[in-house]
Amino acid sequence: MAKTFHVDVVSPEATVWSGEATFVVARTVEGEIGILADHEPTMAALATGAVIIESDGDRTLIGVHGGFLQILDNQVTLLTDRAQISEGGRDVAARIAAELQELEEAEEELEAEG
Amino acid sequence: MASAELRQIRRRISSVNSTKKITRAMELIAASRIVKAQQRVKQSIPYAEKLTEVIRNVARASGGVAHPLLERRDVKTVGMLVISSDRGLAGAYNANVIRMAEAAMIEHGREDRELKLFLVGKKGQTYFRFRGYHIERAFLGVTDAPSYGDARAVANTLLEAFATGEVDAVEAYYTRYVSALNQQATRYRLLPVEPPGVEGAEEEAATVAYTYEPSPGEILDRILPRYVEAAIFGMLLESSASEHASRQRAMKAATDNATELVKILTRVANQARQAEITTEISEIVGGAEALAEARGE
Repeated sequence: MAKTFHVDVVSPEATVWSGEATFVVARTVEGEIGILADHEPTMAALATGAVIIESDGDRTLIGVHGGFLQILDNQVTLLTDRAQISEGGRDVAARIAAELQELEEAEEELEAEG
Repeated sequence: MASAELRQIRRRISSVNSTKKITRAMELIAASRIVKAQQRVKQSIPYAEKLTEVIRNVARASGGVAHPLLERRDVKTVGMLVISSDRGLAGAYNANVIRMAEAAMIEHGREDRELKLFLVGKKGQTYFRFRGYHIERAFLGVTDAPSYGDARAVANTLLEAFATGEVDAVEAYYTRYVSALNQQATRYRLLPVEPPGVEGAEEEAATVAYTYEPSPGEILDRILPRYVEAAIFGMLLESSASEHASRQRAMKAATDNATELVKILTRVANQARQAEITTEISEIVGGAEALAEARGE
């Protein structure tokens, strides 16, 4: 069995996902990053896209927009601006992420007008 | 035929009873909202904690960070964010936080600092406008159930004012939710950002050599505004929970008072009715006696 590490996906309003995982894929502003246990300490800015969390054959897909990724001592923390678990495949998660981004842009426009 | 006095008392009883129905309904609504508001406060804590942790780590790793948002300036103009509610009937909730803010304003005035007011909630707006203060900006309609977007809107306004030098510091006044029975008006120094706990005490956690994507400076650029947003979001949520708790208590007191009042009024009404009956009986008896006397003559 592959070595596991702890993953927290939090958004300002709630904890979206929390648990042990064996493999995580996320998108940072500089490109895709794959994370296994004992990854070096990393601090990255997240981009809009799908995050994949694999744990014991289970696969969780989350649409994420913006935020940060911290890897430290086998603790992976995704501090997202917005995140939503996807029920579908990877492309669905990516679409959710894109929608979250649109939502934020729309809110900002509203704010600018108000 | 009921006397005027009795009729009046009965009318008051029914009016108190309908008021009681309203306060009771408001009490129940507030009670159900507290639970939700409390949950939201609790749910927002992991993000705030993780964010604080990340900032602390980055600050420690990059050693003596310099960033415009961390820079302490000579304070000539103070921005004040006062979080009150849109609706009243919440006991001393609004009065407490507004009084605290006004005391601080007088203090700043004494030190010749200029003030810029940013308000959340209609009650604060009404109060300060009536007293002739200039209000920079008021955010309405957010206190009932604040969203993160609301917090972001407030944060953007304040961050911009700070970045352009319109204000040199920002203080926030909100109501901290200590428990269901205890809420406290609190002052929080929002800007410049005080890097969380970079105290030397816990220096044993050796500096972490992070790999940054992109550079540490850019990470800070992104993360510090988030920190301000999260702080404001937390304050909005706590204030909202406090508001509902205060309202629930105020409405419970009002309902209890109404119950008490109805009890007293009912007694007075009974007494009046009794007095009336007594009068009627003595009139009848008197009349009968007068008749008997007339007949037995």
